[in-house]
Amino acid sequence: MAAAARPLVSVQPLPASLNDMVTDHVTTVALPDVMKASIRPDIVNFVHSNISKNSRQPYAVSKKAGHQTSAESWGTGRAVSRIPRVSGGGTHRAGQGAFGNMCRGGRMFAPTKTWRRWHRKVNVNQKRYAVVSAIAASSIPSLVMARGHRVESVPEMPLVISDSAESIEKTSTAIKVLKEIGAYPDAEKAKDSQAIRPGKGKMRNRRYISRKGPLIVYGTEGAKLVKAFRNIPGVDVANVERLNLLKLAPGGHLGRFVIWTKSAIEKLDSIYGSFEKCSEKKQGYVLPRSKMVNADLARIINSDEVQSVVKPIKKEIKRASLKKNPLKNLNVMLKLNPYAKTARRMALLAEAERVKSKKEKLDKKRKPVSKEELAAAKAAGKAWYKTMISDSDYTEFENFTKWLGVSQ
Amino acid sequence: MQHDEVIWQVIRHNHCSFMAKITTGNFCRNPYNITGVCNRSSCPLANSRYATIRDHDGVFYLYMKTIERAHKPNELWERVKLPRNYEKALEIIDKHLMYWPKFLVHKAKQRLTKMTQMSIRMRKLALKTREKIMTTPRKEIKRESRREKKAETAAELDKSIEKELLERLNGGLYGDIHNILPKHFNKILDENELQAVSEDEEYEEEPEIEYVQGYDDLEEEDDIEDFGGFAIDESLKNNDDAHEDEEGMDSVDGKRVKRRSESAHQKMEEDERRKSKKKAKVLVEVEHEDASERQRATF
Repeated sequence: MAAAARPLVSVQPLPASLNDMVTDHVTTVALPDVMKASIRPDIVNFVHSNISKNSRQPYAVSKKAGHQTSAESWGTGRAVSRIPRVSGGGTHRAGQGAFGNMCRGGRMFAPTKTWRRWHRKVNVNQKRYAVVSAIAASSIPSLVMARGHRVESVPEMPLVISDSAESIEKTSTAIKVLKEIGAYPDAEKAKDSQAIRPGKGKMRNRRYISRKGPLIVYGTEGAKLVKAFRNIPGVDVANVERLNLLKLAPGGHLGRFVIWTKSAIEKLDSIYGSFEKCSEKKQGYVLPRSKMVNADLARIINSDEVQSVVKPIKKEIKRASLKKNPLKNLNVMLKLNPYAKTARRMALLAEAERVKSKKEKLDKKRKPVSKEELAAAKAAGKAWYKTMISDSDYTEFENFTKWLGVSQ
Repeated sequence: MQHDEVIWQVIRHNHCSFMAKITTGNFCRNPYNITGVCNRSSCPLANSRYATIRDHDGVFYLYMKTIERAHKPNELWERVKLPRNYEKALEIIDKHLMYWPKFLVHKAKQRLTKMTQMSIRMRKLALKTREKIMTTPRKEIKRESRREKKAETAAELDKSIEKELLERLNGGLYGDIHNILPKHFNKILDENELQAVSEDEEYEEEPEIEYVQGYDDLEEEDDIEDFGGFAIDESLKNNDDAHEDEEGMDSVDGKRVKRRSESAHQKMEEDERRKSKKKAKVLVEVEHEDASERQRATF
């Protein structure tokens, strides 16, 4: 997010009665770029689940377990199963099955080994990405509340307190400070939630469980506030230069409530760098760029810049219709060729005419001829013959002879 | 930064502490949620511009949050008190949410309607007397009934009633009527009759005519002393018996004492009668034997 002026975070002053800082009027710090990094819960989950495996202690069963017998199978023919049985006699144990995972007193299936791969390697960049994401998520009040922290009475997120807090020595003053800045309800919640763990963990040195309270991050090395705050139930303390993902996103869930001191937040810029500038402490490391700088898709679409160039919505959607053959379908043919109607009409009429005339002719022919017609036909035949045999009936014979040059 | 879409993706698909999944759907426990459902448009965390109606001590407030205050959780929610009048409250909502998305305006009015209806119904129900369901603590009830039974047997009501009534009888409350309570009256009579029967066994007789010779025999060498002595002994005997009776009576309860004393009276009279008879008996020894024979005959 290339903001021209970075937003300012105000530093919460601590009451003058606690310390001698009289000039504790409200100062501001620019928001470090880390807090604007992209929030990737998937990366945080992956890194967290792998990193939490790194503090495991190996466990295994004894490698001799189940094999400390000299058992031999009795083989076939004895009306017993072929499992190896304990040799010897005079005791219950003799003849009992041994060695198998199904036998009483046998070794388990696939005995656990100490050379199991207990630790996981995670890429440095991924680890850094996860931490950066967790820091960014801690500055969003919604995510912190969703994780379960009681931050309703906190004056500002991210919560920054003045450096005079780093010289607090007594836990009682520490609690007073927490109450002043509105972080006490969260610590109280953690204290009230202390309970005995249900299950076998009780007897495996994990007897008590409780919720997590705020995480205090300080900037200067060797600050006294570590000792003051560490005994408050639920409260964790961390140095900025050594931030632990397991503390920033407990359980793999983003959004721990973090209280920064002024020097801590000022150091964040130099530790993690910005989106363009390399970090000073981590060589060559630049904050990860997100796929979308502005992830609010709905807002982008509804913005003026986009809406002004967007085509209007098609309310009527035309769908592809079924193709009909014009040669078979008259209406479709007419859409293409309107004359086809008259042409077809003419054709039909002509056809009808033809049919009619043919019928008449045939009827006439098939009808027996009457006497007058017969006489008329005969006479016409005779007259024709006469014309055929007379060649002087030709009217323009004279012209014709002239032309021909033939004299008669 | 504060991108609603990003926040919603993280909340919905990863983890939200306010979401409650039940068989019918996903619900939101957040007190500021307007519908109570876990939804993209109803999530108060994933919408930077949001409004709700909340009820505080019967007064309705319109809560609004805007993106300008999103980084200050302390001052996030702006509160407007709604008037009691339903129509006026709707107008106020319209005024404050004038250019807001239609969804929020509609839901806010819906919520206000529902809440007013609920409050009306609650007030109506409060006026009606409703039967209160009490629990029966079985243990206590059983324990009390057991103790009651024991106390009843320990009290011995029959005896105390008897005592009281006897006292009353002695006190003359019932005058001369002795058989007020027939059961007890018969019981006492039975007891006393037994004694009377035993006495009868000792002294058996019915007054019978005895034919006695003249006392000419007395002139025979019989000392009067002897007869008199004999008679005196007999009378003494009787007196002893009488005394015994009296002692026996004293040891028993008051009621019976009274009866016994009375019956004793009667007995005394009877004894006197018998004494006289005995005297007659003594003189003639033979009659005793006859008497015993008679006794056997009666048996």
